Amino acid sequence: MSSMNNIINEIKAALAPLKMETPADKQIAAVVRPEAIHNSLSYLRQRGFTQLCIVTCIDWIKDSEFELVYILFSWTDGIHVQLRARVDRNNPVMVTATDIFPGARYYEREVTEFFGVEFTGNEDAGKPLFLEIWDDLPPLRKDFDPQAYSDSKFPMRERGNEFVSEIGGTEK
Amino acid sequence: MTVMNFVYGFLVLLGVFIFQTTLTGLNRKVTARLQKRYGARWYQQFLDIFKALRKDSTSHGWVFDFGVIMALGGIMATVIFIPISGFQAFPGLDNVFVISYLLAVGMLGMAMSAAGSGNPWASIGVARALTNMLAYDIPLMIVIFAMIFAYDSASLSEIAAMQQGMGILGWNAIRMPLGGIVAVIALLGMLGKKPFDSFIAPAEIASGPMVEYGGKHLGFMFILHEFMTFIEVALILNLFFGGGATIWEYMLKYAILYTFANIISGVMPRFKIDQAVRYFYRVPLAMAIVQGLVVILTGLGVTIWF
Amino acid sequence: MVLKNDDNRNIWEKIGDYFSANSIWMKWYCTGCGAIEMPPTMTSRFDMERLGMGPMATPRQADVLLITGYLSTKTLRRVIYSYEQMNSPCFIVAFGSCTINGGIYYDSYATIGRLDKYLPVDLYIAGCMPRPETIMNGFNELIQMIKKGEAKGWKHYQENYEWYKKNQLDSLGEIIIKDEFHE
Repeated sequence: MSSMNNIINEIKAALAPLKMETPADKQIAAVVRPEAIHNSLSYLRQRGFTQLCIVTCIDWIKDSEFELVYILFSWTDGIHVQLRARVDRNNPVMVTATDIFPGARYYEREVTEFFGVEFTGNEDAGKPLFLEIWDDLPPLRKDFDPQAYSDSKFPMRERGNEFVSEIGGTEK
Repeated sequence: MTVMNFVYGFLVLLGVFIFQTTLTGLNRKVTARLQKRYGARWYQQFLDIFKALRKDSTSHGWVFDFGVIMALGGIMATVIFIPISGFQAFPGLDNVFVISYLLAVGMLGMAMSAAGSGNPWASIGVARALTNMLAYDIPLMIVIFAMIFAYDSASLSEIAAMQQGMGILGWNAIRMPLGGIVAVIALLGMLGKKPFDSFIAPAEIASGPMVEYGGKHLGFMFILHEFMTFIEVALILNLFFGGGATIWEYMLKYAILYTFANIISGVMPRFKIDQAVRYFYRVPLAMAIVQGLVVILTGLGVTIWF
Repeated sequence: MVLKNDDNRNIWEKIGDYFSANSIWMKWYCTGCGAIEMPPTMTSRFDMERLGMGPMATPRQADVLLITGYLSTKTLRRVIYSYEQMNSPCFIVAFGSCTINGGIYYDSYATIGRLDKYLPVDLYIAGCMPRPETIMNGFNELIQMIKKGEAKGWKHYQENYEWYKKNQLDSLGEIIIKDEFHE
């Protein structure tokens, strides 16, 4: 069990991130370039961070970028590491992580389905996992309007008068 | 065999149905009180059966339909042969072997309709049911064969009659204590109650052979289950617990035996099917072999008794 | 959905409805988050077996299908499969406000807003989630409805099959289940 500072210095030396911070005790966050994600993940896996907790995505619509987030955990040190990388929103492509972490297969399918990010090398990425027969924008993007979609496809109940308009009178 | 025998047989069927269904309803209340709640009404089982017979049913071909009818017909034929405290609808035909073989007709009918329905859960359930039968039959049959050899008769009413007249000391369960214990454990296996109910297993294999039954088929299956329970409990009652000199004593002993089995099963979990088979082939089989040797070689309990 | 209550049952149907009312078997399939209130209703404190209800494993053996809570489009396709396998007479009881008008998921792209456009509902039980006392009250109400012959959802489904199918296909697109387990 190396101490936290040692680990931070080693990761900084190996990955050369753009930004690094410790948001909480035993948590490290690092921002890297998208081309360096694959090497960073294999370095971290060899370093002892063997569990991939999640792969997810944030939609920065004003910067026109998608930010992919990978969270890893090490059982020997008890430390979470968070890797972030920004890709272009109009052409979101990223290398798959399934050759390092096989369980990333399903996380990447989810990100493809809900955001539209393409993962090269993951041949399952096109198959729908949660949404069947989907015909619209990927739903977790910020320019998708769920209220409009729901109103058009799932009609609501018409509501009559909800109050009595005259005292002692009946509903009209 | 005259027409009166068939009339007696029909009356036996009706009486057995009403008695057993009431007893099942009362036992639902007993199980509920074990779990600190009130439970269903005592006539709830009747309501369940008539409700099931009232619904429309879906069929999967004539093999599916015929399997249910074959099972029910075979079991109803077996019920007529069981002696009820000296009264038999068909005198002289109540052999232990006849009853054991006809019990298998029920299982085979369910297997046939399970094959006709084409649902894989049903085939798993039927395979487990037949494995279960293999497990409990061997220790039980060893004890029964030893008893038949010693008593020199295989008729249920004669064995029951030979146990009467001495009070509780006359029962075969007291004369052959190891055999009595094996019989009660085998009764739990035959009835399909926990811990040996993995072939029904509602949440695991979607109730096994009964998965495709709806409506009238399910009603028939419930009636079949009532009759099968009666045959099994009455078999053990006549062979090991002395039958009954009068019909009231018979009904009382039957109710106590069935409630006892129900109470044991109400507090136990479910065995997997391979655990059940392994269980039956260890201690009950050893007890049955020891009991069989004692009875055959020394006659203790049969010829040497008070 | 209020059906006209014209009681033209003959004596056999009335007797049959008495039996159906007093022994209802629910299908052990709980959709949505409201299913958390089913175990307390079934177990010892608010015992459901007093009313004659008990769980059964398959749709063919069950009488009542409980839609507990929200219903996503993915689940709705499978619930339609299950409902069409149930033997008539069968009933649907809808729990919670998500089946009445969308509930807290009214603007979601994946959950439906109003259940009785797709399946015929006999009884709504309001709440988010209704407590076990409310559920028992609802079941009592269902038993009275069946005895009087007012629970005719299955007949409505059979007679207006095209209307239900049109609504289902409008909202769902397709009802055939296409996932990697059914290829």
